Amino acid sequence: MLIIILAGLFLAFSAPLLYKWLGKYVYVPMALYPLAAFVYFSSYLTDVLGGQTIFAIHRWAPSLNINLHFYLDGLSLFFVLLVTGFGTLIMTYAGGYLKGDPLLGRFYMYLTLFMVAMTGVVLSGNIFCLFVFWEMTSLSSYLLIGYKHDKAGSRNSALQALLVTGGGGLALMGGLLLLGAVGQTYTISDLLNRGDLVTSHELYLPLMVLILIGAFTKSAQFPFHFWLPNAMAAPTPVSAYLHSATMVKAGIYLLARFTPVLGGTDAWQYTLMAVGGITTLLGALLAMQHTDLKAILAYTTISALGILVTMTGIGSEPALQAMLVFLLAHALYKGTLFLVAGNVDHATGTRELDQLRGLGRSMVPTGVAASLAALSMAGVLPFFGFIGKELLYEAALAATTFKALLFAVSFFSGMVFVAIAIVLGFKLFWQASSRPTPMLHTMSPALYLPPVIISSVGLLFGLFPAALVTPILRRAAEAMLGVEQLFELALWHGFNLVLGISMLTLLLGYGAYRYSNRLHTYAPRLNPLYKLGPQRIYELGLEGLLNGATKLTQKLQNGYLRSYIFIIISTFMVLVVWVLAQTGPVLDLSGRWQEIRNARLYELVLIVLLVPALLFLFRTRSRLTAIAILGMVGYSIALFYILFGAPDVAATQLLIETLTVVIFVLILHKLPEFRFLSSRIQKVKYMIVAGLFGCLMTYVTLLVKQYPLVSGLKAYYGENSYLQGYGRNMVNVILVDFRSLDTLGETTVLAVAAIGIYAMLKLKLDNEH
Amino acid sequence: MKTLILAVAIRIFIPLFVIFSVYILFRGHNHPGGGFIGGLICAIAFIFHIMAHGPKDTAYTFFTIKYFRKAHQTGRSSVSSVLVLVYKNLFRKKELQAAPDWLPRQWRVDPIFIISCGLFLAATSGVFGLFLQQPYMSALWADMYLPVFGKPGTPILFDLGVYLLVLGVVLKITFVMAEE
Repeated sequence: MLIIILAGLFLAFSAPLLYKWLGKYVYVPMALYPLAAFVYFSSYLTDVLGGQTIFAIHRWAPSLNINLHFYLDGLSLFFVLLVTGFGTLIMTYAGGYLKGDPLLGRFYMYLTLFMVAMTGVVLSGNIFCLFVFWEMTSLSSYLLIGYKHDKAGSRNSALQALLVTGGGGLALMGGLLLLGAVGQTYTISDLLNRGDLVTSHELYLPLMVLILIGAFTKSAQFPFHFWLPNAMAAPTPVSAYLHSATMVKAGIYLLARFTPVLGGTDAWQYTLMAVGGITTLLGALLAMQHTDLKAILAYTTISALGILVTMTGIGSEPALQAMLVFLLAHALYKGTLFLVAGNVDHATGTRELDQLRGLGRSMVPTGVAASLAALSMAGVLPFFGFIGKELLYEAALAATTFKALLFAVSFFSGMVFVAIAIVLGFKLFWQASSRPTPMLHTMSPALYLPPVIISSVGLLFGLFPAALVTPILRRAAEAMLGVEQLFELALWHGFNLVLGISMLTLLLGYGAYRYSNRLHTYAPRLNPLYKLGPQRIYELGLEGLLNGATKLTQKLQNGYLRSYIFIIISTFMVLVVWVLAQTGPVLDLSGRWQEIRNARLYELVLIVLLVPALLFLFRTRSRLTAIAILGMVGYSIALFYILFGAPDVAATQLLIETLTVVIFVLILHKLPEFRFLSSRIQKVKYMIVAGLFGCLMTYVTLLVKQYPLVSGLKAYYGENSYLQGYGRNMVNVILVDFRSLDTLGETTVLAVAAIGIYAMLKLKLDNEH
Repeated sequence: MKTLILAVAIRIFIPLFVIFSVYILFRGHNHPGGGFIGGLICAIAFIFHIMAHGPKDTAYTFFTIKYFRKAHQTGRSSVSSVLVLVYKNLFRKKELQAAPDWLPRQWRVDPIFIISCGLFLAATSGVFGLFLQQPYMSALWADMYLPVFGKPGTPILFDLGVYLLVLGVVLKITFVMAEE
């Protein structure tokens, strides 16, 4: 499994190069990769269907006990096949959709990165992997939404999506770490058995809320739903793949995955049911009001995600089974419809409903795909969507609490889906029209084949559910419920209540379709209401954050070196005093007098050298003298190092002092005239702070010396620096061998600082010219 | 700041400084010294040169590689032309000065380049461990002793990277400050 992931990463980064070599045929290797992954994971089908789970563990950072841990059970396999199967078709489709785009190579890079990340999310066997891949999906989604980077709208939408999902990711990280701490393991398969431990822990509520925020932001649940419609700025293949079929389902996957651990409590159930229910209604209502094809699809996606969350919240056997079936059905028909919308946009240049008429004659295969998908969406008899809808109603009716409300929500959304399905599958394409929308060009097979394939799969699954999908869904449901499942899917359940409700949905949906035109005229009146929505709060928050940051920066970074030092030293003092006041070890001065009397002569000489030098520093009115005195102080400190047996540090100190003085002298004649600018009050303030800081440091040093140094480090390095590091100079061996990563970090900082200084001075010089 | 004594003395001292700094670099593993100190010492030599002669002179004398180059001929592979270029410049420089189709060129080595070389060396010296299934930055040592140099191993490479980086950083700062 690791090889598949690594190969994907490799392919992703070589995509721009491949585009250079292969031109428009770049889609061939890019589509072959997900196909290969699909076949590879299909080879695990027999094992997983037999009830096995497959592990693969690779060492990653063994010293931190973090490993690359892959875990394949029914749920993972179900998602992974969805991701790779869809990926194959989307990669092909993108080749046709963005044909001739100069940045196509980059697009494939982002898309493949996303696919790898998504595969990683659903395969992750421990919390760290899960989180890393989770963040990777957010990042690649950001890059894909902002693909048309020359448009401000795309950039803003991309940033919004990143901030919302990234913020959720942050919450998720907190939640997962808490979960790991509470469950005492970071491995998901171990966590699954410790549900009782977690739910009864006092930290259960905060960790659940954090994880839910992560899932809700990803899956565009109320009140975080607003990023998804804006994310439609991305090219259509991305909308179809990320923002409908896979990425937004990552949140659902997370909820499903952790249902055995976190689920079953009232808090979990009610939160999911409430949030999911509100999202369902809101998505359905907003979908009815819009006239842009992709906006409609985005809002119905939000609504469908709401249903999935609600079903996960109910958490009963039929509800979770319905969730899985509906998830698959939704991915199939919504993916198709997005691709259809992309084709319509591509061929006519518009996505506005009222400008699109009679498209069926000129784009037959697309129209057929749209109709097949729309029939599935509406839940008409031989399609897979019908099974999904039936199960949803059954689950809602079988719920123990809020039965009526849940049923009303799913019924309402079902009705809206029917209305929209009629618009998309019939009105656009087949309604007779005297003036069909003109075509800009004809369709290539790369554009119409993928939607036709996906929608036919929806029909096939509907006709033969028992043979094609039941086994894998059964194992997936078992992964969520933890017990053996009886999972029977059938198209025909006989004449019963649910069938009647389905028929009623279709009828009322048709009614809603008839009145949808009138709805569109009312829609603008609701606009003032949206000004209060979460989108507005997001904008205000972003604005406030930027303004606040600007003000704070202006306040703290005012350009005066003295105020920086003042702030740093006072903060340090406050923190130290705070810690000392809390733990409060008492200073023991007995015996110190004896030590002072035993001081060596050279120590006294150094003190005699230092103190007058410092006093003289205050009095001097020449910069050169000040620099010379500072150099002298520095050299005296180097002498201290030599006397106390640290020759390496002393050498460095000597050289640094030399350099400082030399560089100062070099720029001396460029500095302005030496003047005292501080007022008397400021001077007193700085003197007090300096005095206090000196006292505090003396106090801390005395306090530290009071305790004997208990540390095995010195002995360890002393023993091992020659045996393991082959060097007798302990300091150097520590620097270049034992702790070389630290040194690497420090030297990198040095390099960055040099570039910073260069940029700063160069900029100033250039401005002056 | 043109003082004759410093200006003449530093020309003699620069090689000494550089050799001493390299000595400090390699002795660092067993005695006080190391890449950081070595880099500083080497930088100090050039800073004195800058003080005595000015940054332009220093950059031209020590950080400019002068070489001769022939226009690329069609029908000749680029690898072979690079090899010829290196060979002729290293061993047949006298001939090139007289040859009419070889034009003199200059390549100014910016201290930023030295910084990046140092960082690259330090960062890649840890990669060797990865090939032997050990964590990044594990030290590898050859099983032998060289005179002066000591026992060769990846930490020496790392230290060399630190040396170059420190040298580059100090030089860059000084060059920028000395230029106007």
